Amino acid sequence: MPAKYMIHAGQTPDRFETVTKSGIIAWEEGCLKCAVCVKKRCVYRVYEKRGLDALQMVDSVDNQCMNCLRCVQGCPKELIHKSVSPEYKALGDEYWSAEIISKIWYQARTGKIPVSGAGYPGPFSGAGFDSMWTDMSEIVRPTRDGIHGREYISTAVDLGGTPRHLSFGIEGALEVPTPKVIDMPLPVLLRVPSVGRITPNLISGWAVAARRLGIFLALGNEHINAAPGTCLSSLMPVVEEESLKCSAYPGTKIMELIMREDTHRVAEMLKTIKEPEFISVRIPVSRGVDDRALALAKAGLSIIHLEGTDDGRFLDDPTKSIKDGIRSTHLRLVEAGLRDAVTLLASGGMAMAEHVPKSLICGADAVFVDIPILVALECRLCGRCGEGLPCPVKMDKAEPVWVARRVVNLMAAWHSQLLEVMGAMGIRDARRLRGEAGRAMFFEELDRSTFANLGKTEEGCELE
Amino acid sequence: MTLKWRPVIAFFYCQNIPEGGWEERLAIEKKHKGAVRLFPIPCSGRIDGVHLLRALEEFADGAIVATCPPGGCLNFEGNLWARKRAETSRKLIKSIGLEGERILIVEGTAGKSLDLMGLAEGFLQKISLIGPSPVLYPKDMPPGTGVGFSLKGESVHDYC
Ligand code: SF4
Repeated sequence: MPAKYMIHAGQTPDRFETVTKSGIIAWEEGCLKCAVCVKKRCVYRVYEKRGLDALQMVDSVDNQCMNCLRCVQGCPKELIHKSVSPEYKALGDEYWSAEIISKIWYQARTGKIPVSGAGYPGPFSGAGFDSMWTDMSEIVRPTRDGIHGREYISTAVDLGGTPRHLSFGIEGALEVPTPKVIDMPLPVLLRVPSVGRITPNLISGWAVAARRLGIFLALGNEHINAAPGTCLSSLMPVVEEESLKCSAYPGTKIMELIMREDTHRVAEMLKTIKEPEFISVRIPVSRGVDDRALALAKAGLSIIHLEGTDDGRFLDDPTKSIKDGIRSTHLRLVEAGLRDAVTLLASGGMAMAEHVPKSLICGADAVFVDIPILVALECRLCGRCGEGLPCPVKMDKAEPVWVARRVVNLMAAWHSQLLEVMGAMGIRDARRLRGEAGRAMFFEELDRSTFANLGKTEEGCELE
Repeated sequence: MTLKWRPVIAFFYCQNIPEGGWEERLAIEKKHKGAVRLFPIPCSGRIDGVHLLRALEEFADGAIVATCPPGGCLNFEGNLWARKRAETSRKLIKSIGLEGERILIVEGTAGKSLDLMGLAEGFLQKISLIGPSPVLYPKDMPPGTGVGFSLKGESVHDYC
């Protein structure tokens, strides 16, 4: 059995006061001056420790409140109210919601799984990844020693194609060439996000994190020099077709090509490149992505990267989720008997830990994580940097060591959640999770199989 | 280092008054860079003297609070208390020799959304007439070297 893959996380504090959901409204006017005020009875001593960060105008009552609502319920004159902080409401957008952002912050700070408390108050189903549920039938009892102490669960995956079968000579010697693969301990690759203010410090921190995690950081030409030389083997330079010939990155193991057209010409061109050994070809997730991926697989390319939009949709059709693109591509390759000849990578909208196992179930081998590695650094996705305005969290002042630790923490939390999901599903190897759609339920399919024969519902007519 | 003085204001407004939302906020920040710092608050009753005074002490030449119209507060009396506190703070700053006009409280009009940009610009203009706050830029220090210019080594204009 291989040595256990553990990610060592450690508390890494925020640089700025964080934005929390809580917005306490409390005033003294009308106070009865009770002998023991509810504020004194706060178990977290929030009111006693009250302070104000005047530069950011953040009141500590909001940031320390644990939402037990004891004071709100206890004040006989109802002088304490609670509402949602307006700054929290303004965070992110529809897909990268305030909740997702604040959970990423928590994970990057602590390296632990965010626990939301008793019960799940959210909707039953939603768009994209929210319309699928994993089968957690193997949860039998809470274990004494937690998921890490149980039998070995491997989260390792391989990059690179494997032959459909092996053949041996009379002597028993292998006749086919030994397949060349890169073993990654986590089905995740990091990628420089397309948003935010990217400074050399961030690149350097991300590269160090990738090396510590044993995974790769995909980055454009302009960023390569910012990464420390010791991390070269953890980098995945991304190049355009035109510059493929002239760009050489000695020391790297893998590189990515953004493919624009003509599969065969590209395949021929790639054959002439000896270094790096592995080349991933990136294609957009849009209509016909499965056909394009199949053509690439037939042409002998072994790593294909399906790129969706930042909110996890098709590039040409916002109504379709990237998960459907991954699934149809995976199934197309299975039908053609070529699935094991290629590694499918997916990117776009990977916002939560659960998106990793869900993408794998849909058929990806590994996923790229981009925006979360920026949010882990306290980014609020406010877009001010794009407008030339000062960054509220001074991204340009983030130190590489801090950056690396925050990203390692985030990945440690995601790794723990992946283990939990796999443990609950009874799957012991991430490679076996790939394409296990039978161990998941899809809302669209259930909806169709249950209600399709009831006939058409009229627009505007809701069933009670 | 000498920098030209630009007034900076702290703008507190109640989130329950309809306004232009994020777009308007961004537009104001873009137009005035660090000169208008916007702080939406859950209810104007949340404002405390300490918020206003600390803002004046740390970075702002003036502070403005926008509340909902009388009778319009979702928490019943928030706007009344906000007014009371702003007035108390105004008295306080006057007693230490600052201009009372550096603290302003405005009420929204029922049925109308808040004109953040207009209010901010009006107040900025007023503050530029009053001049730099002696708290941030003491008279006995050479120009450009007050607290306002070097908060922890950075210009306040860097904050948004
Ligand atoms: S917090 Fe806002 S300004 Fe700073 S990097 Fe993130 S999106 Fe850009």
